[in-house]
Amino acid sequence: MAILSGVSMRYRDKYTARDIALFSAPYLVVYVAFLVFPVLYGIHISFFDWDILSAKKFIGIGNFAKAFRDPNFLSSFAHTIQFVLLSTPTIIVTGFLLALLAIKPGKTGKAAETVFFLPYILSTTVVGTLWGWLFQKDFGLFNQVLSALRLSPVGWLTDPAHAMISIVIATIWWTSGFNMILFSTAIKQIPDEIYDSARIDGAGRTAILFRITIPLLRDTTLLVVILQLIASFKVFGQVFVMTGGGPYNTTQVLVQYVYRTGFSYFQLGYASAMSVLLFLVILSISGFQFILGKKRK
Amino acid sequence: MKHRFTILLAVFILLTGVTLGAQAQKIEINFWSLFTGGDGEFFDGMVKEFNASQNEIIMKTDTVKFDNYYIKLTAALAAKNAPDVVVMHQDRLSSYVPSGSILPLNNYVEKVGVDMSTFEQAPLSSCTFDGKIYAIPLDVHPLIMYYNTALFEKAGITKAPESLEELFAAAQAVQEKTGAIGISADNTTAVYKAYTLTRMFMSMLKEQGFTTLNATNTKANFNNAAGVKAYQALSDMVNKYNVTPKQLDYDSAVANFKLGKAGIHFNGVWVTGTFEQQPGLKFAAVKFPALFGANASWAGSHTFAIPTQKTMDEKRILAAVKFIDWMTAHGYLWAKAGHVPTRKTAVETAEFKSLPYRSGYSDASKYTFPPPDTPKWPQCYDAISDSLEESIALNRDAKTALATMEQVVNAILTK
Repeated sequence: MAILSGVSMRYRDKYTARDIALFSAPYLVVYVAFLVFPVLYGIHISFFDWDILSAKKFIGIGNFAKAFRDPNFLSSFAHTIQFVLLSTPTIIVTGFLLALLAIKPGKTGKAAETVFFLPYILSTTVVGTLWGWLFQKDFGLFNQVLSALRLSPVGWLTDPAHAMISIVIATIWWTSGFNMILFSTAIKQIPDEIYDSARIDGAGRTAILFRITIPLLRDTTLLVVILQLIASFKVFGQVFVMTGGGPYNTTQVLVQYVYRTGFSYFQLGYASAMSVLLFLVILSISGFQFILGKKRK
Repeated sequence: MKHRFTILLAVFILLTGVTLGAQAQKIEINFWSLFTGGDGEFFDGMVKEFNASQNEIIMKTDTVKFDNYYIKLTAALAAKNAPDVVVMHQDRLSSYVPSGSILPLNNYVEKVGVDMSTFEQAPLSSCTFDGKIYAIPLDVHPLIMYYNTALFEKAGITKAPESLEELFAAAQAVQEKTGAIGISADNTTAVYKAYTLTRMFMSMLKEQGFTTLNATNTKANFNNAAGVKAYQALSDMVNKYNVTPKQLDYDSAVANFKLGKAGIHFNGVWVTGTFEQQPGLKFAAVKFPALFGANASWAGSHTFAIPTQKTMDEKRILAAVKFIDWMTAHGYLWAKAGHVPTRKTAVETAEFKSLPYRSGYSDASKYTFPPPDTPKWPQCYDAISDSLEESIALNRDAKTALATMEQVVNAILTK
């Protein structure tokens, strides 16, 4: 900027604007082609009846009306909400607690950070297959341990009462590390002086945690909550691999139903409409969160 | 000097080009395979043998991960740039026939001279719509009954059960006298959907002369006395005679039999390979028993279809048909994967007869029946599976179970 300050105003603006356009062009082209365009096209398809092999038929809001009368849509939406309610607070809190471990000085902190983040780099299928076998009713590790302890085996994934919780447990193991990193980075940025002066004033550990650390993390927490909500609403992979939506459809989440409707039953218009509805829900909740967070400031 | 070398080089390149061009008289056709794992190895081996056995056609195959196969295939069919030959499961054909995405083959098989009478009629008629052959079946993979011969001997059972009474008697005898599970058949969805229940239900209905949907595929056809008998048999296994554990998923059902912990196992023929590799497991495999008088087995079928292209090249189509002819005639090679060949000529070969276990159930191909040929079938199939699974888990009585299932299926068919 110092270099440009001696140059005339107009020349500097034109130069900078051109640079911005040129440097972001490659990214923008890919972004528009593979993200923006498909989303818009998807919204377009939702107003049609289309089985991909024949011509499209315009039916207005027919697909949307159908969704609200479809018990499968309503139940899979309910299962997604169930997952969101079970997983969002737990993964956020777990991430935060792990962050408190990760900020410890020296080797303990570094080791904790690495170990707890590692699961996050695994793919959905790997995590789902791994935990699918850990939870397997007759031959899985957990039930073998229970049998060794003379306790009766649990239908972790085959009993409707336990299936969703088991999926949440696997998800906590898999993704808490991401929130841990966000929180630990933010905590590390809190100036030491604040902690020092608090200790001098005689504040104990609990007081420091609740009166200083947590309030100062408000912005990060808001970010984590929004990101976690969005991710939880989009849940699909690990449910699909671990239970296939079972037992008897009791864990089928909305994204799985959209996938089945579109690709197994060839109803792409209807599948797109349900995706649009999910999108609107996520958008409103995130937007609401965001505004609420900004207001408090 | 320089010029002479350049001329020599040019002549050399020209000659190479000419010889290569002469070799390019061979037709190259391509194919998408959805066979992975053990199936994949056997299939690729067969393609290699086909290529080596003649000089006219080279088949290039490309294996697509099964999860993505139908998505990729549908997209290619919609864009009309699918390969020359594709594999399709028989129950998917009705999704593609109405849109003209695959070719009717009657004229082409006649031109090539394929002897259609050597095909088992049941699988072939499943690929025929309105008198036109839209696909040629490579195999049928029916639901069959496996049983542990060592456990049967210990329990004093001398022959494979043939009626419903004999089935329950055998299962109970195995449980009482050996402590093993009577019938290991999955009834709960975990990693895999519990389709075995539906397959058994459909087979039992057909044994009593009923198809799952009515003739016009507009209504469910199972809320009747036949449906009650079929549902009751399935429910009794778990809830009355306790010969099948509750919450049994597919992996456990297979593992129980494989480890010698179960007397009887109902599943498709595709697990023959995994059982025959288990050391110490003594078993036999026969077609699904005539529990209600007649024989009928649900079966899937891998079929070959020829996609419609933007510009049809008859040479390529005929080459594809020749490939299909060879592959089906050599069905005994494919039988190594456990599947049943669809051509009587293949089943009668010494090679097929020398394979263990497979001859025990090859007659199942006579009693297979196709699922209803409506594009709404995949959705009905899933709905029936969920409904049966739920009803048996909650121990619903037959009337309620069938009424609930009928309601769901009719809703799908009439919308």
